[in-house]
Amino acid sequence: MLDMLGGDVGCALEIGCGQGRLTAKYAALATVVGIDLPESLPAAGRSAFPERAEVAAASAVALPFPPEQFDAAIFSLSL
Amino acid sequence: MVHALSEARRALKPGGRLIDLRPTMRNRRVELALSSATLFIGEIDSSITFSDHVVANEALDAALRAGEFRLEHQTTFHYLSDLDTLADLRDFQAGLRRSVMPESIFERIEALLAGEPAGALIRVRREMLIARYRRI
Repeated sequence: MLDMLGGDVGCALEIGCGQGRLTAKYAALATVVGIDLPESLPAAGRSAFPERAEVAAASAVALPFPPEQFDAAIFSLSL
Repeated sequence: MVHALSEARRALKPGGRLIDLRPTMRNRRVELALSSATLFIGEIDSSITFSDHVVANEALDAALRAGEFRLEHQTTFHYLSDLDTLADLRDFQAGLRRSVMPESIFERIEALLAGEPAGALIRVRREMLIARYRRI
């Protein structure tokens, strides 16, 4: 799976990060920003996510980021 | 889907990579690995989700036709969930949101495990699609 990212990525956006299960894997290759709807994020906060990741409550159809910020965007079971 | 793809493209640098990871339009398969053989037990019905895949594929096709992305590589693989007990399979069932696991799966496993030495493994196999696109 990580091979598909094609090596060191830089900064990646994970769309549909959920409980952070895959975020930890992506964080091996990239600085990750994970987003999901508030009800899908862990109730206990970001403790499930690796240090190299940021987490935000946001919708995939209204990303709260400026244009051309990320080197990769990953739809994790969310497209 | 179209809006999500447009937003992802907006947030991506030119030449950035878009990864699409999702299940294929095949049901999960439940297997039982015994000491002597691995047996197919039954399927978990996820057909209600298949229309989501059709919509996602249509959105991606439209983005490709519009020259917004270029497909670089795609493949499928199996995601395996290995469970030790029927109770673990019940927990797995409880986590299913839009899929149905028939009771016959539990009944069949229970019957097969009777008299089987410890160490049998319940395996849920799900076919996944992963694709990499390049933002144009």
